[in-house]
Amino acid sequence: MGEGIVRYKYDVWGEEVILGVSWDLLWVVAVAVLILLAAHAIIMAVLANKKMDKPSSDGRRVLRHETIDRLFHWIMAGSILLLILTGVAPIIGLRIAWLNLHWIAGLVLTFVVIFHIVRSLFWQDFKSMILGPRDFGEPFDSAKKPGKYSFEQKGMHWAATVVVLAVVVTGLLMFLQIDTPFWDRTNSMPESQLGLVFLLHGLSTLALVALAATHIYFALRPEKLFYTRSMISGWISEDEMTANHDTSRWSPEEAD
Amino acid sequence: MVATSHDVMPDIELYQPTDEATALALANTLGSDGWLLGGGQDTYGWLKDRNKTPAAMIELTQVDAWKGIKETADGVEIGAVTTITEIATNPLIQSRYALLSTAAGRVASPQIRNVGTLGGNLVQDTRCWYYRRGLDCYRAGGNICYADSPEGLNREHALFGSSRCVAVSPSDTAPALVALDATMVVSSVGGQRLIAAQDFFVGPARDITHMTVLNEGEILTAVRIPNTWANAEFYFEKVADRNVWDFALVNVAAAFKVSGGTIEDARIVCGAVECVPRRLDAVEDAIRGQQRSEQLAEEVASIASVGARPLNYNHFKVPLMENLVKRAIRG
Repeated sequence: MGEGIVRYKYDVWGEEVILGVSWDLLWVVAVAVLILLAAHAIIMAVLANKKMDKPSSDGRRVLRHETIDRLFHWIMAGSILLLILTGVAPIIGLRIAWLNLHWIAGLVLTFVVIFHIVRSLFWQDFKSMILGPRDFGEPFDSAKKPGKYSFEQKGMHWAATVVVLAVVVTGLLMFLQIDTPFWDRTNSMPESQLGLVFLLHGLSTLALVALAATHIYFALRPEKLFYTRSMISGWISEDEMTANHDTSRWSPEEAD
Repeated sequence: MVATSHDVMPDIELYQPTDEATALALANTLGSDGWLLGGGQDTYGWLKDRNKTPAAMIELTQVDAWKGIKETADGVEIGAVTTITEIATNPLIQSRYALLSTAAGRVASPQIRNVGTLGGNLVQDTRCWYYRRGLDCYRAGGNICYADSPEGLNREHALFGSSRCVAVSPSDTAPALVALDATMVVSSVGGQRLIAAQDFFVGPARDITHMTVLNEGEILTAVRIPNTWANAEFYFEKVADRNVWDFALVNVAAAFKVSGGTIEDARIVCGAVECVPRRLDAVEDAIRGQQRSEQLAEEVASIASVGARPLNYNHFKVPLMENLVKRAIRG
């Protein structure tokens, strides 16, 4: 059947129902993301002030991410990458036993997401991640520095929140349809509902691929590498903090 | 599932290569558009129902290099387009690998065996009627297994290894070749690869839209059977609704090396209970070193069905499978 964004099929009764997302979009997303990121890299290279002072990583260190949060981040990253790899494998024709790896990685992601939600609500500074009107002016005014998280970081976080929650919820609904050590499959969801779940899972997967690629790109950008280091070691230097953050809005503890 | 005219045969380009290189080049060039045609006994059903509409067909039965049965230093090699009748009646196969000749003799009907090929019997698609009907099930690229739905009719379907799809391997020769530890010769323009028969078939957990490891451009060109199990004690039995022209409800192929009544080694394989021929390793382990007897057969038969997960209508396959294994062991 003809494909746009959505694939349709006829069910066993001859009724047209949604089958899922058109996986041609995977290539569209991949190419679009590559072009956009390449364009960003070129523009940044052209506009870069070669003599721009880079904040020093030496000196006093301040704590940016606690150990438990770094652990959460890397488990989440690993599970998302494994989910993307195992989910995309059969679509691009790689013939591997992907399903068990996929749902196990999905369960890991679900647990760490629940953990993160609970921890962020009760043990972290939740307000530091809230996007307010002031944040939207930040990219256009170099005098405005962010608190702990920049406008871009908050934007990425909330986009990832929506997409990951969508992929988790739809994934869990699909998980109920297969055999696992915890239950036997029922295969009883009506086809039209199942198709909708597949469609939403597919769309959120496409968004997740785009977000993951974008996140990895920015994590590897030279001017952002100190953030990536902080996700490994936990700290940034005081110099890096004052160059990039408003210390009146974020005053972290000294790192050990 | 689209309403289609059955009045006129769809246009299909037919290629009839007579040499190996041309056939492989065509398979490589046409890729998924080039339907490989052996005896056509699986193919023509698909075409007749208009549920597969290949743009082109590559008929393989005129490639002489892929025909016939020849003795080699290590055993025998059977060309993939050798007919099932030739295999069933070949004196060399009958004398040394009676398991295969017996299994071949139980395939479908005499007419089908006369044109059906070994390669076709091995790589044939599953007979799940929801799938064959052209419904967009999991195996056809959809997102649901109709045979495994609460209302699904699944009397012929799988007991084991049904990851989202409950279709079974319909082949009679496949379990025999797995029991004989055969090797599949798979050719392409890039060369040849040899695959153990046991690894040749794939289940839905690995690839839900294919039943073998064959990739686009690859052709199963021969099957090699080693001397290892030549002249062993064999047992093949197929239970189907009809004695001829039917697919197995369950079949069993077994090879035993017996010395002084003691089973030194054994390979037992069941067909039509999983998407791949199911090797019964646990049963083999249980009987190795034991006296071949009715008592042993009684004791170990139930091991065969451990892990079975019957569907709504195929619970009968569990005792059927156990009984076939029992009969194979007692000989």
